[in-house]
Amino acid sequence: MTDLTGTPQIFGTWEALTAVSHHYAAMNLHATHLANHWRRNSLSSDYWAAYAALQIPETVPTGWLRRDDVNYVLSYLLNELFENCAKFSAGPEQTVHYQAWFEDERMVFQFTNHITPAGERPFITLIQELLTSDPDELYFQKLEENAEQEISASGLGYLTLIKDYGIQFGFRFRPINAEITAVDVQAHVSLKEAAF
Amino acid sequence: MSVEIVSGEEYTVTYNDSTESLTFDGSMRLRTSEEYEPINELMQQALSSTPEGNLLTMDFSSLKFLNSSGINIISRFVIAARKQGTVPLKVVGNQDIYWQQKSLTNLQRLWSSVQIEIQ
Ligand SMILES: Nc1ncnc2c1ncn2[C@@H]1O[C@H](COP(=O)(O)OP(=O)(O)OP(=O)(O)O)[C@@H](O)[C@H]1O
Ligand SMILES: [Mg+2]
Repeated sequence: MTDLTGTPQIFGTWEALTAVSHHYAAMNLHATHLANHWRRNSLSSDYWAAYAALQIPETVPTGWLRRDDVNYVLSYLLNELFENCAKFSAGPEQTVHYQAWFEDERMVFQFTNHITPAGERPFITLIQELLTSDPDELYFQKLEENAEQEISASGLGYLTLIKDYGIQFGFRFRPINAEITAVDVQAHVSLKEAAF
Repeated sequence: MSVEIVSGEEYTVTYNDSTESLTFDGSMRLRTSEEYEPINELMQQALSSTPEGNLLTMDFSSLKFLNSSGINIISRFVIAARKQGTVPLKVVGNQDIYWQQKSLTNLQRLWSSVQIEIQ
């Protein structure tokens, strides 16, 4: 559904963050590049994960994630988000915009890719299911469903990130024109060990 | 004794029938379930070659990365083993690899006959 006034639709944990700050890093790339050479997803995620994790001191107080752990969490997270940009970008605009904010107690990552207005509805339905369900229940329900049928989209990316790592997500849909909607996905990562 | 290997640019999966174990090495972040199919077939072969009542070991301790599509494939396999019901699984993980600490125990919640050993 295209909102012709151009008002963005927002779901989940969304924060307006400014790009101009000394904590900030960004990169632009192309979804077709990621799709054509699949390893570009993991290469990009491993690079940015290692880059970000360097801010974690070699020893951390109890309750904080160790540098290696942060590196692993971010590699997994960023790879899932790069893969999604590679898999699900659609329409004439294929730019992918990566942004990161590195703070003392948390990191925020924002990925922008583009889809067609017709692609909004199904994605929003999924997001609403994700944000309103119990992640644990939904996770095991999806695994049992996936075991029953042969489907190519396993639908576990966001769910594992929420359930196993306590990462919070925000989603924003910005209509650009009749053919293009920008999708911004924000991931909020706490540098403290999640209490489960 | 026979050893079978499925490998790609960044990963190796080995099935050793004398130790009744599947060993995963490297990084598995493939694009689709079709690309995971050779790995799936090797796991299925391991399952059907393991005598009833014996334990099949799945050793992930050298697997640094696995994407969510890979988690789906491994979970599907555990569900298949549960449905067959004759070969219990032992899952070995590595304490130093954070995703293993976080995600391998989920396999036990799919089937209570999965033993988890995080070393
Ligand atoms: N960046 C995106 N742009 C457009 N649609 C997206 C995007 N990210 C996710 N989606 C939609 O949301 C669904 C869920 O994404 P998620 O990453 O959780 O699972 P998946 O990519 O389908 O499978 P998996 O990540 O387990 O391999 C996708 O199937 C897709 O329809
Ligand atoms: Mg995904």
